[in-house]
Amino acid sequence: MQTEKPIVVAKEPFVSPPKKPFRLSREGAFICLCLLPAVLFVGIFTYYPLLRGIIMSFQNYTLFNLLDVRFIGLDNFFAVLTSPEFPRVALNSFYWVAVSLFFQLLLGFALALFMRRRFRGRGIYQAFVFFPWAMSGFLIGLIWRWMFNAQFGVINDLLVKSGLIAAPIPFLADGKWALAAVIIANIWYGVAFFAIMILAALQSIPEELYEAAAMDGAGRIQQFWSVTLPYILPTMLVTILLRVIWILNFPDIIYAMTNGGPAGSTHIFATYMIDKVIFGQDYGQASAVGVIIVLLLLVFTVFYVKATRMEKGGDF
Amino acid sequence: MQRDHIWWQTARVVVLGGFLAFAIFPLYWIVITSLKGQKEIFSLPIRYWPDEVTLLNYVEIFRISHFQVYIWNSFLVSLFASALVVAIAMLGGYVLARFSFRGKREVMFGFLVTQMIPIFIGMAPLYVMMSKMHILNSLFSLILIYTVMLIPFCTIIMSGFFQRIPNALEEAAMMDGCSRISALFRVIVPIMLPGIAATFIFAFVQCWNELIMAVLFIDEESVKTIPVAMNAFIKKYDIEWGAMSAATVLSVIPTMLLFAFCQKYLVEGLTQGAVKG
Amino acid sequence: MGVRSWIFAALQVSIATALLVGCSQPAANSGQTQPDGAKEQAGQEVRLKMVESITSPQRTALLKEMLTQFETKNPGIKVDLISPPFEGADQKITQMLMAKEELDVLEVREFNAKQFSMNGFIENLKPYTEKWSNYDQLTDVAKRRATWVDNTPYYIPNGLYQRVLYYRADWFKEAGIEAPKTWAELLAAGKKMTDPAKNRYGYSFRGGPTGWDYALIAMWAYNGTEVDPSSAFFLKDGRTLFSTPESLEAMRYYKQLYKEISPPDSVSWGFQEMVQGFVAGSTAMLIQDPDVIDGAKEKMQEGTWATAPLPIGPSGVAQQVVGGPGWGMTAYSKHKAEAWKLIEFLSDPEQSTHFAKKTSVIPVVKSAAEDEFYKTGYFQPFIEMNQQPQTFIDVSRPVDYKGWGAWQSAADKEIQSYLLDQLSAEDLLKKWDEYWTKERAERK
Repeated sequence: MQTEKPIVVAKEPFVSPPKKPFRLSREGAFICLCLLPAVLFVGIFTYYPLLRGIIMSFQNYTLFNLLDVRFIGLDNFFAVLTSPEFPRVALNSFYWVAVSLFFQLLLGFALALFMRRRFRGRGIYQAFVFFPWAMSGFLIGLIWRWMFNAQFGVINDLLVKSGLIAAPIPFLADGKWALAAVIIANIWYGVAFFAIMILAALQSIPEELYEAAAMDGAGRIQQFWSVTLPYILPTMLVTILLRVIWILNFPDIIYAMTNGGPAGSTHIFATYMIDKVIFGQDYGQASAVGVIIVLLLLVFTVFYVKATRMEKGGDF
Repeated sequence: MQRDHIWWQTARVVVLGGFLAFAIFPLYWIVITSLKGQKEIFSLPIRYWPDEVTLLNYVEIFRISHFQVYIWNSFLVSLFASALVVAIAMLGGYVLARFSFRGKREVMFGFLVTQMIPIFIGMAPLYVMMSKMHILNSLFSLILIYTVMLIPFCTIIMSGFFQRIPNALEEAAMMDGCSRISALFRVIVPIMLPGIAATFIFAFVQCWNELIMAVLFIDEESVKTIPVAMNAFIKKYDIEWGAMSAATVLSVIPTMLLFAFCQKYLVEGLTQGAVKG
Repeated sequence: MGVRSWIFAALQVSIATALLVGCSQPAANSGQTQPDGAKEQAGQEVRLKMVESITSPQRTALLKEMLTQFETKNPGIKVDLISPPFEGADQKITQMLMAKEELDVLEVREFNAKQFSMNGFIENLKPYTEKWSNYDQLTDVAKRRATWVDNTPYYIPNGLYQRVLYYRADWFKEAGIEAPKTWAELLAAGKKMTDPAKNRYGYSFRGGPTGWDYALIAMWAYNGTEVDPSSAFFLKDGRTLFSTPESLEAMRYYKQLYKEISPPDSVSWGFQEMVQGFVAGSTAMLIQDPDVIDGAKEKMQEGTWATAPLPIGPSGVAQQVVGGPGWGMTAYSKHKAEAWKLIEFLSDPEQSTHFAKKTSVIPVVKSAAEDEFYKTGYFQPFIEMNQQPQTFIDVSRPVDYKGWGAWQSAADKEIQSYLLDQLSAEDLLKKWDEYWTKERAERK
């Protein structure tokens, strides 16, 4: 009655940058060779630009004066961290990630649960219900911006027609609503990913476990807690980590919908960074924001892994 | 099997229907907009079904821009990048799954960290690199960068798939005289096909929709991909909603088809290898 | 070594195919970024690379037409035009310059001319303009733009963007009032037109990106001739614009515009929404540049709309910022002589006026004022305004100050905060006053 372990990838605590093994055995050579393309590509085209970006964050690299680029130490970081907008940006980023994640997870889970049992037309259904994932973030932002438009937007129209509100709400013009609007668009987009991952995990749970539990007298709800959840927990934990990282670094929707407005109420770190490049023309400060993003995520990952490792009992 | 109460069944229908409506509504809206004439799009009250169904927008985008070229370019880029990523990820994923070696943790962590890096931080240096390599304005630059962007996630996913498949299989093959690599390709890959397909589809969709790098590296008409072309519909004072929605519909069809036909693989691929009994 | 061969084979196949695909892409008629510029001279053919910034399908088609004419007149020179999407084109050009991408002629905007010249990206055109017979054909406004950086021509403008008042002639007729001539009249007219129940508003407000620009227009109109035209955030006596009681009044007025005669969500309206609002029939007035004319002609019925000069402030004058993009040359171009030939061609009065007509911008040459096209119709108010330089004063923003970029992006949010009652007018002005006082001090 062996069951295979579901996908699990353990993330180790922060260690030094990747190194290849130095064994010269045939096996070692094989490993090196297989990993070489991956490591090479990523090293050259991801880490090297990152390195240059990090260097920029310590320089006064603005388009205003490219002939006089010098090292200015941590000035960019101070400027960013002490700017009056920063607390708002940080708070928005937190809401953006937390709320989006929560609903994406909840709804994705629910969807997966309900889709579990095969039914006629499930293939077609899947194509449609997962379709949001097939769209680009920028486009999603544009479309939802149009839908939330106060005068020509569908959402206001429906709300007014159904009597829920009296007059159209200027969603994207109102600080309170704008953040909610972009989050809704993000939820729309992300539910599919969770649903797919969780559905996959659900489908890998062997029936025998349920049968055994039923024989032990467990009802449906209890089976859920004792069989379903523990089994898919590893998958979920990994998916959640990945999503947190991806959501924080996902400026497309916000950029297209509100560009951080109104009055900076929808700026997250990633869009703030774009703003600094395009309007501020300050690559130095923008890179500083980028570095801050990476550091935040690193710290988060470390804590997350430590916190959840105890439950998983470690793997890999 | 558990019995299904009627309320459970209706709940299911309601919930599934609700999700579908939620997911589909914007799609419906885009399709409708693409079938409306220019004047109708901006008229009030909002019409949920065009007064006059017109295919003019579709005709326009093929007329004004060479949309078929963009479709072809997107297809080429997505195909080759995905193929390349899958190849690289398979090799990398295999060794990550099968062996433990010094530096393995670092490699995996290194991959994870790449996901944390915001795109914009490396944009200027990347542009300079591409420029020096003289591959700006060529599809190759996109194939290259998309491959790079997807390697980390796909390698990890692949390694997960490999983990599911017991060592026994290739060990048996190797004992019969196969080299490791032939064992990999002859024995494992066929079993893993759904998983490979799943990874391929994921990569394909990402490439198909990628905008930022495409706009950065491509200016030349003949080399544009769909997202770049669509970005051009954002004019100074107008988003050409008619053309934009027609283009969206066209660009979404292939991915939806991919999803529809390969849905089995996408989901089952992720569960592939579970051994029972 | 079966291992190696397998891997290499697989990889080679993928990479080879990718390469084949990639390298076969650039079609015969499009230029690739290869360093053959110098080598091609051997074959006596020079390929120039040109990039435009204010891209639109019509403009690109027009430019290509003009380029073909140029090529016919100049055998041996071929021009490749790059047309990045409008959204982000300037960014793209900046990237290209930073990477020293092969480029000869580029579209320079008045707000990046200084930057480009300071970073050594664009060439000083004085040696060329000195020998150019048509240089004096440029109107004063155009020349001012060209020589904005250190009084030296760094680019030749190809059109002027000025703002004008668009209004719904039919609504005004209905209400029995004339087009407003002053800001006060505008507010009054707007109030008459505003009827939220019918989804009708008086004014297309720009609260979104670059909304501060309009606040500035109001402040200038209130401060009148005190404003220093060469650096319009300052007054002639050296103080900042934001320190005067007139500016406070102007800001209060500005808020009234938003609260009383504009749609509530216009606080985040950008260019697109503003124009859309007017064109789709939900606002009665719009202040924008001539780009709108083409779209309005297309989407609105003749007779329902008209143009009028900008409203004047209580001081009796109105300032306008005239945008003047144009053609410049890269400092690292390998074909400067040919590049100048191209710029010269495009700036020839006949070509230039043709260009202006077709792209709906104000022409840069003096002779155009005699053209029928500009004497009547929708373009007439522009000519009218330009003929009264004492009333409609041409001013420049301080784009050459170090803190300009940072101020812009902060100002957007600050204005919105003000409009949404989160920030008081006094505090807002104080902020800006302090900021620019500091900038000025640091400049010395």
